[in-house]
Amino acid sequence: MKHVLTLLAMAGVFALSNQALAYDGQNCKEPGNCWEAKPGYPEKIAGSKYDPKHDPVELNKQEEAIKAMDARNAKRIANAKSSGNFVFDVK
Amino acid sequence: MQQRIKLAIGALLMGSLSTSAWANAELDALMKDDNQWVMARKDYANQGYSRLSQINKSNVKKLKLAWTFATGVNRGHEGAPLVIGNVMYIHTAFPNNVYALDLDDNQKIMWSYFPKQDPDVQSVLCCDNVNKGLGYGDGKILLQQNNGVLVALEAKTGAKLWDVKVNDPKTGSANTNVPHVFKDKVITGCSGGEFGVRCHISAYSIKDGSLIWRAYSTGADSEVMIGSDFNKENPQYSALSLYEDVNGGNKMGGSFKNLDKAQLKFPEANLGVRTWLKPQQQKDGWQNGGGPTWGWYSYDPKLNLMYYGTGNPGTWNPDVRPGDNKWSMTIFARDLDSGMARWGYQMTPHDEWDYDGMNEIILWEANGKQLASHFDRNGFGYTFDRTNGTLLVAEKMHPFVNWASKIDLKTGIPVKDPKYSTHQDYNAKGVCPSALGVKDEQPAAYSPKNKTFYVPLNHVCMTYEPVESKYVAGQPWVGATLTMFAGPDGVMGGFMAWDGLKGKTQWYNKEKFSAWGGALVTASDLVFYGTLDRWVKALDAKTGKELWRFQVGSGVVGNMITYGHKGKQYVGVLSGIGGWAGVAMNLGLTNDTDGLGAAGGYKELTKYNAAPGGGGMNVFSL
Repeated sequence: MKHVLTLLAMAGVFALSNQALAYDGQNCKEPGNCWEAKPGYPEKIAGSKYDPKHDPVELNKQEEAIKAMDARNAKRIANAKSSGNFVFDVK
Repeated sequence: MQQRIKLAIGALLMGSLSTSAWANAELDALMKDDNQWVMARKDYANQGYSRLSQINKSNVKKLKLAWTFATGVNRGHEGAPLVIGNVMYIHTAFPNNVYALDLDDNQKIMWSYFPKQDPDVQSVLCCDNVNKGLGYGDGKILLQQNNGVLVALEAKTGAKLWDVKVNDPKTGSANTNVPHVFKDKVITGCSGGEFGVRCHISAYSIKDGSLIWRAYSTGADSEVMIGSDFNKENPQYSALSLYEDVNGGNKMGGSFKNLDKAQLKFPEANLGVRTWLKPQQQKDGWQNGGGPTWGWYSYDPKLNLMYYGTGNPGTWNPDVRPGDNKWSMTIFARDLDSGMARWGYQMTPHDEWDYDGMNEIILWEANGKQLASHFDRNGFGYTFDRTNGTLLVAEKMHPFVNWASKIDLKTGIPVKDPKYSTHQDYNAKGVCPSALGVKDEQPAAYSPKNKTFYVPLNHVCMTYEPVESKYVAGQPWVGATLTMFAGPDGVMGGFMAWDGLKGKTQWYNKEKFSAWGGALVTASDLVFYGTLDRWVKALDAKTGKELWRFQVGSGVVGNMITYGHKGKQYVGVLSGIGGWAGVAMNLGLTNDTDGLGAAGGYKELTKYNAAPGGGGMNVFSL
């Protein structure tokens, strides 16, 4: 019985929060920043089931790859300017 | 003597070739000549409109196949060839071969180019091995290979002049876009929204391949290249940098409480950073935040602004990236020379459905106003004042769109319907449109004569369940399970005529499958497009009545073009089914949720197409 009541109470809370708090994009903290947490969404997701647990080593790989590509491209162009020949392979 | 004159003329041409003014003037002249098809969508404005009218409503029924060309490559053949003088330049799906065909000599191959690409790149192409085509300028054919290499070939001989690396597939980043030539720059982007790639748009010198600027879709204003006059007429779109550099910043271990402004620190001042809240223990989210740029770009030479859209924010599971996720899902107008953004409007803040905002922006004029229209994946047709980004029209392209009830024109913000929100480990049902949108890459056409847009459409809805997934560079980072099915009309596609000032449909035809082929409209009021069940069609632009159809060898995901040669008008299109709608079929995937949810919805395609689709060029004339 207690369980049923608790469930009913919870259902009531959900129904209320759906009406009052559901995220529809209209409440802006400042221009261009209008996200709100949906009902039931934790205030803090670090450690929750939504925590993406990013590995900073993985996240940094893109920036490193672009830096390396830009450096190789710059060598290709410098070489083409000095030799008159475009060579893709960078030794 | 003759030899010497030739040399002198050659030297003169070479000299003028190297100046940017010449590239601009030559392109301008070629774009104005309707016998040519010199850019992906014919001109800078992306109109897909031709003044050729030899083929008209009364004779189109006599249209016949003139010649065909098998590309020797399977899978999706998106985009369209270029026609410059007596040469047609044809590209293919991976490995992105290029053929120059001599229209004066029975389409004999003048030269061909076969890139050597590591086949591994195919594993980071989410939605088939497609390539949207070639660019032309300064006597060069530009090819943006799937593996991120941008190549300049001599248009006359096919000799490679320069090649540079734009994206690294080892980090999930690749290309399917056309390299667009605007003046003396080659503009190219990146794909990888399904691989957590923080994408960019970049300008390279057409002369020597050197990088001129690169603007990211997410991150600090300095890297998104947001200028001081950004959105000045529409400050409601974005707050400019308001905060001082104070130690600490928005690093509160994942709190969503509004922080004291004094605690925010550069670059947290910037919306490209600040709208990626910091829920996780490590890093912020914008570093692998998506915003791919794989669509069609346009350019206004008078304003010197170029226009394009950014795609979905990284991972389809919205719950792991709280915040508006700027500047994903955004239409940007950038100064071509500096790359600085003049205005930017985010259509779908905090995307929950993968409604990539990368579809083409078509430039046009009406009532003395310089306008830009865009038909988004999210199902709304937008019209802007292209000088400053003011939103004039935003209407549903079909009433089945249900994720938002409307777009508030004053704020520019969609009014989301929480019933169709998506949440991790919850299977949202009946969301319309599906992730592949009311319109995907298939570009619309615009007739300045009729002031009407012609738009190929999808009519597909979905179930969408975001799930937990881990980001590893170079691996898919989707985090959602989808199924797709026909919308309430009971079919998968449609084709419509649209009034861009009123935001209203003028006529609408149903299509059995999505209309994934790009449209062409001519001054003789004919509209052409191809379908996934292998038909190439011509309609009356005024009424939508079908006047002609022809069945080609494989489903059409390419764009119709027209050109004139020796006084005769031709229309043509690449066939070769693929793209997202056809990727599951091409790979033989049969589970409903395969191919990012497309396998189930499009399983009937195997009744109309051999798998994988074979590529070919089809050319028609009277």
